[in-house]
Amino acid sequence: MSEKLFKIISKVMNVDFKDVNNESNPSTISNWTSFNGYVLLYELETNFNVKFSIDEAMDVKNVADIKRHLKNHGIDVND
Amino acid sequence: MDNEESLSKYILDSQKLEISSFTKKIKVAFLSSFTINGLSESLQVKCSKKQISCNPYVAGYNQYNQEILDKKSGLYSFSPDITFLILDTRSIFGDLFYFPYSITKSERENFVNEKITEILNLINKFNETSNSKLVITNLALPYYSPHGIAETKTSYSFHDAIIDFNKKLKEHLLDNNSVYVFDFFKFIIKHGENNVFNFQNYLFGDIKISLDYIPYLANEFMPYIISFLGLTKKCIVVDLDNTLWGGIVGEDGFDGIRLGPQPPGNAFIEFQKYLKALSQRGILLAINSKNNFDDAIQVIREHPFMILTENDFSCIKINWNNKASNMLEISEELNIGLDSFVFFDDDPVNRELIKETMPEITTPDLPHDPSFYSEVIQSLHDFSTFQITSEDTKRGQMYLEQKQRTKSQNSLSNISEFLKTLNLEIEIKKTDSFTIPRISQLTLKTNQFNLTTKRYQEDEIQKFSEDANILINCVQIKDKFGDNGITGVLIVKKTNSDEWFLDTFLLSCRVMGREAEKAMLYFIINQAKKNNIKRLKAKFIPTLKNKPIEDFLFNSQFYEENGFWIYNLEKPFNMPNFLTLKEE
Repeated sequence: MSEKLFKIISKVMNVDFKDVNNESNPSTISNWTSFNGYVLLYELETNFNVKFSIDEAMDVKNVADIKRHLKNHGIDVND
Repeated sequence: MDNEESLSKYILDSQKLEISSFTKKIKVAFLSSFTINGLSESLQVKCSKKQISCNPYVAGYNQYNQEILDKKSGLYSFSPDITFLILDTRSIFGDLFYFPYSITKSERENFVNEKITEILNLINKFNETSNSKLVITNLALPYYSPHGIAETKTSYSFHDAIIDFNKKLKEHLLDNNSVYVFDFFKFIIKHGENNVFNFQNYLFGDIKISLDYIPYLANEFMPYIISFLGLTKKCIVVDLDNTLWGGIVGEDGFDGIRLGPQPPGNAFIEFQKYLKALSQRGILLAINSKNNFDDAIQVIREHPFMILTENDFSCIKINWNNKASNMLEISEELNIGLDSFVFFDDDPVNRELIKETMPEITTPDLPHDPSFYSEVIQSLHDFSTFQITSEDTKRGQMYLEQKQRTKSQNSLSNISEFLKTLNLEIEIKKTDSFTIPRISQLTLKTNQFNLTTKRYQEDEIQKFSEDANILINCVQIKDKFGDNGITGVLIVKKTNSDEWFLDTFLLSCRVMGREAEKAMLYFIINQAKKNNIKRLKAKFIPTLKNKPIEDFLFNSQFYEENGFWIYNLEKPFNMPNFLTLKEE
């Protein structure tokens, strides 16, 4: 599942799959602008069939945060 | 309706575009009152699918006022061809969006008038500083009103104010030939407010068009690009069996085909009505069908539920030849290039044949269910033009007359004998508000008998017509079969007291081969002589399509000098005596 998440991130941010990890964040991925961050959440909502709240959206600072919020929606991407 | 790809796919695809090889190029600027990230990327990808290289400029978030008011702004130094100014109701109405009834009815009216004045001032500033066409959106109407169901019992209500704003914006810009209103109001009707607007998107990033719908908006902007570049399609070629009617006339017989008020026959009536409406606005129709001619033409002539009649078709090919060779013949007979055609055929094999052999033709996939044919035709943007001219609405009739001319041409032994019988009358007309849109359209669309293929937008033609150093006229050609309308353009630059330069010289393909060009040249030469000009200078700029005019200068006694062609005005010039030249 981690792979699925990293693939989506690498596609939206247009970075190599191997460059994505739990610590990835707007300062390590140059394409991670606030808008692309939002596009990413949109893609995650579509792909994992979840809806993030505005609090969750604002709380995302890195990939680990995304995993944590996905887990709150019952999706464990570390499986 | 086609389902769009996701916005992230467009953004990703836009990063991989290889568009440098495209010859068609356009510079597009985006100004907006809210976040429109992804719109320019979507438009770039859509352009690339039509072999257009789109170079975008996206102004900063909500910077449209500054960009337009500052003459040194990035917008102006980018020098766009088309600028989209995308506004939204919340930004324009401000707090009144929430509290429209905190002020009186007359204050609401004044507010709308003030906003209209503000926008018009902004547009004027833009027009003073830029040659770009401007496309401004009107305002979406929210379903919500604080008055709820009493909204429709409220005089000059919140909703009335928005509708009034849209009405006034349109009225003020109706005669402006460089500013166009994009009907954002209708965009929301098509896609639905609950789909396009999402509170979370809005509150999170001032995204007032949700991400899924940005590509749909880009799609609606494509007609402006197509029209600007003169890529508008001119003719729809249709199949008959299972396209204009259900079933196969050769097998099911005249009485067995499905065409009538009951389903599924009504799907074909509906489709034919859309085709007829397009023909009434100037899109030509033609038939390319594998059938026994007698069987098929009987349906067209005699079937009680046919909407389209034989005269609606400018060219009819009903035979057993392959459809590609029929297409070539249609293109030759109508004298328009293959890239000006759309091909409708229910048979995927025929579509594949055309797609493979003639990729320049637009060949949409037709759904299996004919109920959706009309939707396909509605979603095609390829027929859009900035304006509908009176020539457009008469075009079908003109081509019909052309068919009769060709018939009589075949019955005569030589061409000059034929031309003599036509009673050709060439009238040189001045520019005015009626002819300027048509002149621009001719420069944008004419490819074959066009000396320089210079493309001019309406505002440029307007400027030429006000310039004392430019001679600009259009040409109306009539003959015994009817009026061909305005079908020629001449633009001459008065370089100095000795020399004039032929900037543009063109004739529409439908009047080619009648020597009307000699009357046009005769007119220019006479004007030049009256002004004591010594030399008329010209340049032939070859393109893939303008071979028909290649020898015109040589045959008209111009001589070559340093890559230009010169006519010495001391030489007499004679016009064929079967032409009658009139001047307005």
